[in-house]
Amino acid sequence: MSVSLSSTRPVRRWRLGYRISPVGAVAFLVILAWAVVAVTAPLIAPHPVGEIVDFDFFQPMSAAYPMGTDYLGRDVLSRILFGARYTVGISLASVALACLTGVTLGMAAAVIGGAFEAALSRFLDALISIPSKIMALVLVAAIGSSMPVLILTLAVIYTPGSYRFARALAVNVNAMDYVTVARVRGERLGYLIRAEILPGIVGPVLADLGLRFVFIVLLLSSMSFLGLGVQPPNADWGALVKENIGGLSLAAPAVIFPSLAIASLTISVNLLIDNLPQKIRDRSADA
Amino acid sequence: MNSLILRMIAGRIVVTLMTLLIVAIVIFCATTLLPGDVVQILLGQSATPEAVAGLRQAMHLDQPAALRFLLWLKNLATGDLGVSYVNGIPVAELIGNRLANSLKLAGVTAALSVPVALTLGITAAILRGTLVDRLVAVVTIAVISVPEFMVATLAVIVFAVTLGWLPALSMTGDVTTLAGLIKAFAMPVITLSFVISAQMIRMTRAAVIETLSAPYVEMALLKGASRRRMVLHHALPNALGPIVNAVALSLSYLLGGVIIVETIFNYPGIAKLMLDAVATRDLPLIQGCAMIFCFAYLLLITIADIVTIVSNPRLRHA
Amino acid sequence: MSDPIANWTPGDDTMVENAIRRGADRRELLRMLLGGGVALSAGGAILGRAGAALAAEPVKGGHLKIAGFAASTADTLDPAKASNATDYTRCCALYNRLTFIDGAGLVRMELAESVESTDAKTWTVKLRKGVTFHDGKSLTGKDVVFTLKRHLDPATGSKVATLAKQITEVTADDLTVTITLAAPNADLPTILGLHHFMIVADGTTDFSKGNGTGAFILKEFKPGVRSVMARNANYFKKGPYFDSFEYFAIADEPARLNAVLSGDVHVGANLNPRSLRVIEGNASIAPFVSKLATYTNLNLRLDLAPGDKAGVAEGFKYLINRPVIQKSVLRGLAEIANDQPIPAWSPYYNAELKQREFDPERAKSLFQKAGLLGPEVRIVVSDAASSSADYAAVLQQAGGKIGLNLVIDRVPADGYWSNYWLKEPFSAGNINARPTPDIMFSLFYQSSAPWNESRYKSEKFDAMLLEARGLLDLPKRKQIYGDMQAMVANGAGTVIPAFQSNLDGVTPKLKGLVANPLGGMMGYTLPEYTWFGA
Repeated sequence: MSVSLSSTRPVRRWRLGYRISPVGAVAFLVILAWAVVAVTAPLIAPHPVGEIVDFDFFQPMSAAYPMGTDYLGRDVLSRILFGARYTVGISLASVALACLTGVTLGMAAAVIGGAFEAALSRFLDALISIPSKIMALVLVAAIGSSMPVLILTLAVIYTPGSYRFARALAVNVNAMDYVTVARVRGERLGYLIRAEILPGIVGPVLADLGLRFVFIVLLLSSMSFLGLGVQPPNADWGALVKENIGGLSLAAPAVIFPSLAIASLTISVNLLIDNLPQKIRDRSADA
Repeated sequence: MNSLILRMIAGRIVVTLMTLLIVAIVIFCATTLLPGDVVQILLGQSATPEAVAGLRQAMHLDQPAALRFLLWLKNLATGDLGVSYVNGIPVAELIGNRLANSLKLAGVTAALSVPVALTLGITAAILRGTLVDRLVAVVTIAVISVPEFMVATLAVIVFAVTLGWLPALSMTGDVTTLAGLIKAFAMPVITLSFVISAQMIRMTRAAVIETLSAPYVEMALLKGASRRRMVLHHALPNALGPIVNAVALSLSYLLGGVIIVETIFNYPGIAKLMLDAVATRDLPLIQGCAMIFCFAYLLLITIADIVTIVSNPRLRHA
Repeated sequence: MSDPIANWTPGDDTMVENAIRRGADRRELLRMLLGGGVALSAGGAILGRAGAALAAEPVKGGHLKIAGFAASTADTLDPAKASNATDYTRCCALYNRLTFIDGAGLVRMELAESVESTDAKTWTVKLRKGVTFHDGKSLTGKDVVFTLKRHLDPATGSKVATLAKQITEVTADDLTVTITLAAPNADLPTILGLHHFMIVADGTTDFSKGNGTGAFILKEFKPGVRSVMARNANYFKKGPYFDSFEYFAIADEPARLNAVLSGDVHVGANLNPRSLRVIEGNASIAPFVSKLATYTNLNLRLDLAPGDKAGVAEGFKYLINRPVIQKSVLRGLAEIANDQPIPAWSPYYNAELKQREFDPERAKSLFQKAGLLGPEVRIVVSDAASSSADYAAVLQQAGGKIGLNLVIDRVPADGYWSNYWLKEPFSAGNINARPTPDIMFSLFYQSSAPWNESRYKSEKFDAMLLEARGLLDLPKRKQIYGDMQAMVANGAGTVIPAFQSNLDGVTPKLKGLVANPLGGMMGYTLPEYTWFGA
């Protein structure tokens, strides 16, 4: 896991070994819990997602409504539980898609080089230079708003960044002697990127993936700011924050709890990645 | 080495022109996918077929879109960005003022956030594994996890409404004193710094740690060199490439990505201008803004690449 | 042109206030009230109330800052093209109309001294003497002719081309203008009071200068950014009171509210009803509510499935829970509506038409007959039609309980009006109040109307519309418009749950506010008539 300039790959399993850090474990449990909530939301939510349970709005926490009510008088707890499906589902799917595509293309570009790299880089640079929110607006306005469209839109927006990042790392690794040796050996492209390049960049790529996940969650909420996003009565957590932002000066729980939900998820994803056992981060070290 | 960089810059100019062309084509294709054209949007609820046809003719929009695009490209080659469909004002004039505003905001934000982010990132790397490191990691993620419209709104409620220290709006047009300028910029700059710092902090930390784990650095550490010295004199120069790249990406966000901050603080910048242009299907204006964003982005990454090459001997001789 | 007052309404308070402002004395006012059937004692109370509202004499001076809700590069100072509160407010400050509609909904003269006709077909407009444009040119009949004829040219892109079409001829002789209509229309004086019919100077091609006869003179105009204007010292009316007036837009509602709270602007237009809770607890902001006949409606096209089946539209009218919309969605800043566009405070309102109640069982049996329970029914909503997603959510909730599978498709505001509204089988609309039933019905319910949202077609209705339009006999007109309201409520596919009031947040020192039925911010004329009190 190195962008270092050394000529041999460091194998430092001794630092963290196989130990699972407690922070990582807690982070993993939080993500798991949200994933379970996402799947079981209809079973555990006390109210249907769109039901107006009270004429009053922005109610404080109470036994009946543990997280208060929202701007329409709907149960915030139920809306957060249902919102997990969208925030967790859409963000994970699109970040996975974006990073898979971006990193693969980035490594391929670094290894193949030449016209392929030039053409791909120019095209993706062109995409990345278009502001993400405007790109999202155009794509959703042109195609319509549904789960697959949202996932693809977000993936398209974040692929170029992922590509650029991975390519920059891969170019460095590609300049290493052991890669040159492998190439001279006549290894195929697939082998080169999987077995030689990937292990060298997987650490930073994972760290980047964590951030990219946060950005996707945020872009999803920005889209709700622009009136795009998940279809009502459902809402992702960012949209919950947006639709209840008027309650901020009333310190309404309806705006605070969705923010906490977002923070708990994004922080957990990043802490988990930071605390992955060295074995996973360096899995190729065994290969 | 200088000649290498000069050659690279020459190459980059060609590449920039190519990329601008690609952007123009991508934007053109994307906007033709959008439902409705400028005339329908302008007429809104009044868009009856005869009204649409009449206005379209009056606005000289009855030629096919592709033809108009080619004409626009031809004019672009002579440096003419065209005229807005919506209000007939030259695109260059519409963009001019607002670009200056955006650059001001971006400049101030960068001047504040880049040093802070680099310091925090490097500190976290030096103190890797300590409480400080973990705190920086959690706080940075927590800070960017909050949607920026929430940060901005909260800042306004606290500093403008409750405390009355700062204005709720950033209208720099009427500001004459330095204190006034600081006040006007304070909230948008803080909000934006929150948004862009996290990536720079994390990438700086990661890059420095990567170089710190290089065998020669470890060797030096084992021999008793101070960790701090190692970071500042050996690791940092080598980590410069990835760091500068992360900084460049973050800064490019400051032009086009600040729609929400511009909206909430009523700051007349270029991101909102492009949003308007999309909303009214004003193709010359959309294209003009896209050209600016693309150019700024390419400029930033070219600078980043030059820094990378200068700092990495392996690439320098490649 | 003033209608006799039958019942005392809050709007009448406004009228009295206006009369006081015009300089009417107490005796004159009492006569006016008695004429309206108000007892002497009650009349005194009303006068006291109105007098208190206006006790302070207008004070000159100050710089007024207004934050509207929409601004873009499409902002225009061409009254014909004006499309939202931003354009209207600027145009109202820069230009004048021949007539205007006051707080009580009554027609008053502005640039015209009189607008008269004997047959409602040929109208004579006498213009005020001595009115000048900002560039020094005097107002003459030619300017009026030029202004009105512009609307007939498709190249202008006029928003009221449909209304202007009935004008067949306009001629001028110095200060007298003769307008000939294709068919009699007794409402012409009201139509001329619409914002789009502001008078521009003859031959104007560049509207970015804002050369009008209005209370303010343009100093700076940057579309999508801001406008700055200064007091017109040669204004023909009393006022304006502010030295200068600045307008810009803050699209984000919480930000707009906060800008008023922090004192950075004096008026935040069009706030969310929910913000009342913040406003009421705060000394640095006051609510300014305008009761409007503006509404968001959910429309079933009667020529497409599912609205083409008998009883479907009626079913949705029973399924929409109006009190929930009034209380939960609009937070009380609304009046329950009855699926027709004429509000209770209109002199033409049909009070005998029974209010439709929330009756899910009845809706269920209607839907069962139409075979609507089971398959997906899709409704298209958008932020472009304010609160429409919330309306649909209320409908969906009620539908779920009777087995109706309503699917909400929220589409971007961007392009909504040209691509979804009027085109989808079931979609939301958002209709701004128009001052007369004739305009409402001709724009939205006449068989040939381009904006006939539900494709309601009735020859009888069209004939009644034409008949009433030419009538100068008020009771007869009221009777016909009343019947037409019943026809729309029962026959059209437009579900109109509530009339939405407008909430502006203003600084408490802003005086002289009077609500106007044409829209928020005193029908967008706030800069001309208000002042900063002590």
